[in-house]
Amino acid sequence: MANEKSSPLPNQHPALGARLVQRFFRTPLDSVISTVTLTVLAYLAYHVLDWAVFNAIWTTPDGTSEVCRGVDGACWAVIQQRWRLILFGLFPYQEQWRSSLACVLLVVIVVMSCLPTFWTALRLTLIWVIGFIGFFLLMRGGIFGMSVIAPSEWGGLTLTAFFFVTCVLIGMPLAIALALLRRSPLPVVSGGAAIVIDCVRSLPLVTILFTAALILPFVLPGWLLGDKIWRVILGFALFYAVYQAEIIRGGIQSLPGGQDEAAKALGLSYFHRVTRIILPQAFRNALPPTINQLVITFKETSLIVIIGFFDVLASGSAAFGTGEWSFAYTEVYIFVALIYFVFVFSLSRYGAYLERRMRVGTN
Amino acid sequence: MTDDAIRITGLNKFFGGFHALKEINLHVTKGEKVVVCGPSGSGKSTLIRCLNRLEEHQAGVINVLGIELNGDTKNIDMIRREVGMVFQHFNLFPHLTVLENCALAPMLVRNASQADAEALAQNYLERVHIGEKAGSFPGELSGGQQQRVAIARALCMRPKILLFDEPTSALDPEMINEVLDVMRGLASDGMTMICVTHEMGFARQVADRVIFMDGGEIVEEGPPEEFFQNAQNARTREFLANILAH
Repeated sequence: MANEKSSPLPNQHPALGARLVQRFFRTPLDSVISTVTLTVLAYLAYHVLDWAVFNAIWTTPDGTSEVCRGVDGACWAVIQQRWRLILFGLFPYQEQWRSSLACVLLVVIVVMSCLPTFWTALRLTLIWVIGFIGFFLLMRGGIFGMSVIAPSEWGGLTLTAFFFVTCVLIGMPLAIALALLRRSPLPVVSGGAAIVIDCVRSLPLVTILFTAALILPFVLPGWLLGDKIWRVILGFALFYAVYQAEIIRGGIQSLPGGQDEAAKALGLSYFHRVTRIILPQAFRNALPPTINQLVITFKETSLIVIIGFFDVLASGSAAFGTGEWSFAYTEVYIFVALIYFVFVFSLSRYGAYLERRMRVGTN
Repeated sequence: MTDDAIRITGLNKFFGGFHALKEINLHVTKGEKVVVCGPSGSGKSTLIRCLNRLEEHQAGVINVLGIELNGDTKNIDMIRREVGMVFQHFNLFPHLTVLENCALAPMLVRNASQADAEALAQNYLERVHIGEKAGSFPGELSGGQQQRVAIARALCMRPKILLFDEPTSALDPEMINEVLDVMRGLASDGMTMICVTHEMGFARQVADRVIFMDGGEIVEEGPPEEFFQNAQNARTREFLANILAH
């Protein structure tokens, strides 16, 4: 160590140029492969940039698509014109500040509950109760002179975020319950949980959503039905829960049996054994597949379009659906893809942060 | 109240078709130190695991501190509160610090305040000479240190009986003594102890009684000097010859 420290820095870290030569142009074959690869990459990058930036049209002066006619580049003017439709769907134009505020509120409470500072039962409960009440007051209206807007008119990014968060909020406790029930020593209980999990898992998600939205109204009495969006959320949450339940069960099974025995020997109740010893360790083991499942679930929310909800993807389709902008679907899809990317990528990075944080205390 | 700590009559335990414990009768008085030994598979671990219902028995009566151990969860909870256990593989909670490992049960089971539970935990950690590691995680400690923490964790519940299930079998040889020293200290404080162990030196010094099990039965029992000098049963003599030879 002392030797390394005393030696001059340049010897430790050769100049960037020297390192690149060393790495990519060491032999003639290396040089050929590197040159060809770099040329292809540069060619592709030039064409993408040429389309997306250099030749792109960013704004339209008159609000029509005329400015994009006969242009080689991307027509980002469609986003400038239609971003409100993509973000808020069919939500009434004058009231869209409510939808954007509600969406921001939702993102803020999600981010807050991801921070360790807020990880006490009281704080999390407070955040979510206040947050959800705020969200509903803003979206639904009906007080403070705000007009009533039914959930069927909600849409865009706000709907996607709300749908996803609610599904996970309902699905996660359900998943924990199913995982614990499936480990019950009573055959009736564990068998029942296994059948529920296997049955729901065997059905396509689309079928479950259709059933929740369209079939249940024929079967259930009216007072049990509630709004369509809630039936669809429950169906979606159930679908998420059965997958998450198996992930959690896997996490529990990877624990050494001695953990539960030690907790029993100390006299801990079943509730404390589960909440203090089993689940914290099970979730640590199951973190990578849990993040994976959340990412899949977030992207699957776009399926709700088939039962008439305008999530962010469907709103995007509507944005270029009118004849005027119908040529600009690539730009709209790229914009929507970026929105998905920001959400999913943040989720993945947060998962990586949690893994690093939880690695403390294990070897 | 009598001075009974444990009274077992006609205990039978099956694992499926396997008869693990056969008609065990055992009586341990308060303050007594009992060492249980025997070849692996003889049922010695199963026996002490029945005492706090980590294993369920099929026949016979187990009475711990005057409470009958049966399906009644209230009784099981009462007994587990008074009976501590130390495991072969320590079984510390890896996601909690050493201090949290020790303070958890007093807080959750005995409703101690966090400050009281942590003071208690620190006190017992000092007693097993590991107070300076209170903020570490179990994974950062050696096996011997982990086992001493496990003993402190059991002591924090102020148990009336301590069960040891091969507490030194998973340790490197140089760490065995630091754990046995702690156990000797507990014995001299008058703790009621039942130890499953192969440490015959420990048995000789500390035990009031040594029990030899084989094939799910208690084959022989007696005070250590008699047990080691003058074993009656051929199986006991063979076991002792094997274990003392190396």
